[in-house]
Amino acid sequence: MKKTATLMLTIFYLVSLSACNNDGPKTSGLALLQTTHPSPTILSENKDKEMDVAKDVEREISKFKELYDVAVIKKDKEMLVAYKVKHLQRFRMKQIEKKMTKLLEEKYPKYTFIVSSDYKIFLEAVELHESMKNPNYSKKKAKERFDRIVKLRNELT
Amino acid sequence: MGKKKMTPEQQKYKELEQKYELKRPVLKNCLRAFLVGGLICTIGQAISYFYIYFFNFTEQTAGNPTVATMVFISMLLTGFGVYDHLGQFAGAGSAVPVTGFGNAVISAAIEHRTEGFVLGVGGNMFKLAGSVILFGVFSAFVVALIKTILMQWGVL
Repeated sequence: MKKTATLMLTIFYLVSLSACNNDGPKTSGLALLQTTHPSPTILSENKDKEMDVAKDVEREISKFKELYDVAVIKKDKEMLVAYKVKHLQRFRMKQIEKKMTKLLEEKYPKYTFIVSSDYKIFLEAVELHESMKNPNYSKKKAKERFDRIVKLRNELT
Repeated sequence: MGKKKMTPEQQKYKELEQKYELKRPVLKNCLRAFLVGGLICTIGQAISYFYIYFFNFTEQTAGNPTVATMVFISMLLTGFGVYDHLGQFAGAGSAVPVTGFGNAVISAAIEHRTEGFVLGVGGNMFKLAGSVILFGVFSAFVVALIKTILMQWGVL
């Protein structure tokens, strides 16, 4: 009886200590569970012209049969492409990434591409997309956030 | 070992032994190990997503804290005496995932507690888990060596 009580208490402590984190996901909380199909996000001034390129890229990536969700973020000459791979195709994730990078770099040599199939990158991309809808969200902040995502993508350990 | 010629007594004993020996329920054991091992791995996956969601970890980097958490949980459960029952029920299903490592460390520590903290707990804590660490580090070294050589040659 006492043992069970101790165990319950420990579990209760673990749960209550790990709860409540204010930086958690807000609107984009379900981005990992369902397909979201966010439209491309542009972090520079002349939106219309750059939107065409970004949309083009998104259409190009969506042609891959192994994927089911794509998010594109564009900051000047850098473009972040995050996507989710169908579960059984995850064995070939490296090959898909290689193929995609090659295709994008050949088609759009002017831009540098950051390609990632990581859920975290996708989640962050969707979150950034959501916060860009808010007109008060400053461009400078968004760009800083973009750089943070790129840094996160290159982290290995 | 080749087949040895058995004396009639040995032959007789063998027959007798086979009559009374309990049959190992291999299929049932496999099923239990599969279910419990799968359950442990599902919990691990959930913890990994927890780290991805609420902290700055990517799928690549979430592995390390996940392993640490799983080992910590199994250490606690071993201390409370829950993991022993689980191990009895599931066998390999509870020993093969990393949680078995935490169990091996703590159960050895508990066993030798009466011999004192230095020679007992300190000296015997890694009696079982030491081989895991040794062969883990060594095989990681070999694999990394092979990978480095292959990358130098440009195969990978």
